[in-house]
Amino acid sequence: MSTAAGQRVTVHLEVNGLWREAVVEPRRTLADLLREDLDLTGTHLACETGVCGNCNVLLDGESVRACLMFAVQAEGRSLLTVEGLAADDGTLGDLQQAFHDHHGLQCGFCTPAMLLTAHEHLREHPDGGTDEQIREAISGVLCRCTGYEQIIASIRAAAEAGP
Amino acid sequence: MKPAPFEYHAPSSVAEAVALLGRGDGAQVLAGGQSLVPLMKARTVRPAALVDVNGVAGLDAIEERDGALQIGALVRLQALVDHPGAARSHPLLREAVRHAGHLATRHRGTVGGSLAYAAPWAELTAAAVALDATVELRSPSGPRSVPARSFFRGPHQTALQPGELVTGLSVPAQPPGAGAAFHEVSARYRDYAHVAAAATVAVDPAGACRAAELVLLRVAPAPHRVDVSGLVGTRLDDAALGALDAALAGLDPPGDVEVSGAHRRRVAPVLARRALRDAFARAGEHREAA
Repeated sequence: MSTAAGQRVTVHLEVNGLWREAVVEPRRTLADLLREDLDLTGTHLACETGVCGNCNVLLDGESVRACLMFAVQAEGRSLLTVEGLAADDGTLGDLQQAFHDHHGLQCGFCTPAMLLTAHEHLREHPDGGTDEQIREAISGVLCRCTGYEQIIASIRAAAEAGP
Repeated sequence: MKPAPFEYHAPSSVAEAVALLGRGDGAQVLAGGQSLVPLMKARTVRPAALVDVNGVAGLDAIEERDGALQIGALVRLQALVDHPGAARSHPLLREAVRHAGHLATRHRGTVGGSLAYAAPWAELTAAAVALDATVELRSPSGPRSVPARSFFRGPHQTALQPGELVTGLSVPAQPPGAGAAFHEVSARYRDYAHVAAAATVAVDPAGACRAAELVLLRVAPAPHRVDVSGLVGTRLDDAALGALDAALAGLDPPGDVEVSGAHRRRVAPVLARRALRDAFARAGEHREAA
């Protein structure tokens, strides 16, 4: 496939179980496609340079920085964003509820990325793993409020509550 | 913070990719994008065209042949960390690359991108030099192989010619039972290394060192191989490691906004000893297990 500069292309991708499409320039990032074209503003952008991890989404189940991928690169792929964690009626998922119960958020800006990163971690470590492993998992997502301790407690609590 | 417009190509074969790169219009390769995309957003880099190699067939395999490892350029850094065969045959690769970025960036970052970008903190470059690996390249005029020990020329400088594509890394078989270790220091957890040390040590049946490699990052313009042949025949005790002081005395590491050259000169020998000692201990464990 080749596209001239400025020329738009149609991208098809599965987001939270639904096939979606958008017509974008190749320079459109995956994060901007989610936020601007699909109106899924739960994916938050902070540094936009891959440092802070606040835009983490799961691409075919693996965490990636949505700000460092071009939307065209997600053609045919499957995405999970924070909007996919709650039930259709808005009922929080167990992990989200654990964050609520254990004060795993203050301002909430990093929370979508923390939730998805924790979701991936708990899939690989259903028993939660060690605190060290939880810290390693969330080390790529910056939080400026909590000091992380309540986030770790939330993930631990979700693991103990079971799937 | 949005990249300037670019022509976008998504070839499906190496031949198609190198043909696009060979047109000489300043096209850049897009692999994992973990370094290139931030530079494009800052518009430090404004390529007229991108050749996205993520859909190129045949570059994402890790294959073992007679103990040697052939690693495709599109192998994600985390896939290399997770590969059990690679961890067995060349433990230094996992030891080094697990320090690269974070899980989410290792899920996208590639072996080829790490080699081509040649960041001075790139752990994989130190491992490639320590393991005497060969970088495989392709251009419209054909394939070319360059030993890692001459591929890296300086910060972000390599033997890569305009229009050439990194297609893989070939890592020769290691002495059986060799141990490996990698240590680095950074200002924040998982941030860019200020100094790093990669070591491999193989031991003889009596438990003495029979081969060793030591490569340091950020003490010289490119990954710096230290002559540790003096360790052969020893058990890496304090007296033997003391000889390292002479080998490291001539280092004149660069300083930058984050850390001074003097600090690097002080830290490098500490990490060097730590990596060599750990590698030696692990080689001993292999010997006992065998």
